[in-house]
Amino acid sequence: MTGRLRLRPELLLPLTSLVLTVAAFALVPTYADATVGAFDVYNALQIFARLGPLVLALGLTMIAGEFDLSVVGTYALGGMLTVQAGQDHYAFGVLAAVGAGALVGLVQGCVIAGLRIPSMPVTLATYIALLGLTSALSGGLTKTYTNITVTLWVDQTVMTYFSPRSLITGGLFVLAALVLGITRWGAELRAIGGDRRASRVAGVRVGRLLVGTFVASGVLAGLGGSLLSFSLGSANPDPGVQPLILAAAAALLGGVSLAGGRGSALGLLGGVLSVALLAEVATVTALPGYVTQLFYAALLGVIVIVDAPDLHDTIVRIRTRLRSDRPNAGHAPLSQETP
Amino acid sequence: MNLATAAPESVTRPTPPRRSRSELVVDGFVVAAVVAVVVVGLSTERFATLANARAIITSASLVGIAALGLTLIMIGGSAVSLAISQTVAASGMVFLSAQSLGLVPALALAVVVGTAVTGLQGAVVGYAAANPVVLTIAASFAIAGVATGVTGGVSVSPSARGYDHLNATPGGVALSAYVLVVLTLTVEWVLRRTAFGRSLYMVGENRVAARAAGMPVGRTTTAAWLGAGALFAVTAAFTAAFNAAANVNLGGTLTFDAIAAVLAGGTPISGGRGSALRTLAGALLIAAVSDILLLRGYSTGVQVMVKGLLVAAVVVLVHLRTQERHP
Repeated sequence: MTGRLRLRPELLLPLTSLVLTVAAFALVPTYADATVGAFDVYNALQIFARLGPLVLALGLTMIAGEFDLSVVGTYALGGMLTVQAGQDHYAFGVLAAVGAGALVGLVQGCVIAGLRIPSMPVTLATYIALLGLTSALSGGLTKTYTNITVTLWVDQTVMTYFSPRSLITGGLFVLAALVLGITRWGAELRAIGGDRRASRVAGVRVGRLLVGTFVASGVLAGLGGSLLSFSLGSANPDPGVQPLILAAAAALLGGVSLAGGRGSALGLLGGVLSVALLAEVATVTALPGYVTQLFYAALLGVIVIVDAPDLHDTIVRIRTRLRSDRPNAGHAPLSQETP
Repeated sequence: MNLATAAPESVTRPTPPRRSRSELVVDGFVVAAVVAVVVVGLSTERFATLANARAIITSASLVGIAALGLTLIMIGGSAVSLAISQTVAASGMVFLSAQSLGLVPALALAVVVGTAVTGLQGAVVGYAAANPVVLTIAASFAIAGVATGVTGGVSVSPSARGYDHLNATPGGVALSAYVLVVLTLTVEWVLRRTAFGRSLYMVGENRVAARAAGMPVGRTTTAAWLGAGALFAVTAAFTAAFNAAANVNLGGTLTFDAIAAVLAGGTPISGGRGSALRTLAGALLIAAVSDILLLRGYSTGVQVMVKGLLVAAVVVLVHLRTQERHP
């Protein structure tokens, strides 16, 4: 059993981080002058609800070997459209946000898949354009959502720990896990992330799958922005880079590889729950903002360095060089004996 | 002797192959777009004036210097740094708080900070092949966190007035514009005429092949990031001098502005190609387009949106233009 787990980092990493953060959360009273109760669990799940759709959106493209930087732009646009179109009825707002997200994803997916162009510069340009569009729509101002009943509904307590918002986000993860687990899309998504040329030869319709992934990413990001606007009762034209950083950290903790081809919806769920619990621990223990910031930086830094493909090679090379500097040390002459 | 010096010349400058049909289409599109920008510009009131030209060059200068640094990173194949704004903020804080030492020592100190912070990231990217996007996202958080922790979140005020020399406008043009031109030529020279420049192109074009050929991939990449850090610090000094105060938000949207300038110049994000002159052109193009939109009364949001669409268009065109030769 342990052997199987060790072979599958996409399960081991989120499981480990989830166990560690749950322990850190449960043991808060032992190292800080604070207690944790049901309300803190509810709060952690609210953070999960805020980040979840973004993590799923970014994570799906990362599994496919791409990196959709535009998710935060779609997130901002979705939030703004929700406030502007959904004042009368929330459904119009959600539809506008989801529709815009799907459109953005469709255009990006077609450009990236059709021209076989790297996704980073394209999604970066889209991100800039969407922030501009959101700011133009709102005149650069934060807009208020006046439909207070919706705001109260999405954040009401359900079964002590949950809210409709966190349940919807959880539902999105379950849906993603089912779709990726039951249909062949899950395997194909990992295949095009791992080796695109080989999967094309093997008969995977790479183009369609990529377009679909970007549409899903856009829809999820738009929906995430929509839910956030309902909860806050307002929409901010510039969410900053923090959501992107937390989403990237959660996806990486969730066992997704930066090189693509690895990851699962359940792993992503573990990653985002870990980040949400950590954020709640920081809140409960009243850490200054910059300490939390440094903590996330360290977390992300460690993950990206451990994930770095040439790290092992470099260490081996340095060790070899150190040894060969001392020719009498014993191991170095080996290569001369066997030419 | 003559033969020996002529040989590398012919290697580095092959005769360009005949243009294919798709290249001609792309080129035609670019020419049409430039003509359109010029026509719209000329038909815009107050665009074709000396004062406006100065305004464009001045607004391009700060982004341009940072974008030169990013050009080194991108040519070397390590995509982008998303920590430019934060590096500029930290270097700017150091620059202003060290003013009591004198202008030049303060500038040197800012360059040391920018170089060290950026060079460290470059070493991790160069030696371990870490993903530069995520690494620099983490770095941006770390830099902002340390800067907030050290300053307690308060703006840094200058400790002397020496910085004001950087706000000089000789001949009516900001000093930073002259510095931009000099630095562009310097970076261009380094890229074209030094061994470092040539190895940087090779590392960016194909990291695995460069390593197999025995090239110092890690060292070359680190050197590119060190240079980028120094250029970020120069931007920081000018930005801090202009604002006469520095906090964590000093860099503003510089990260994305610099990326937009490099990409708009036609340098591909995949590395191995590009030049400092292209980046200068990209920075001027974005500044000119933003200026036209401003003169025509469009909001900041529209200006940002057009910048994004412009970058997207150039990225696609450059990709189409180079795809034929690199299938």
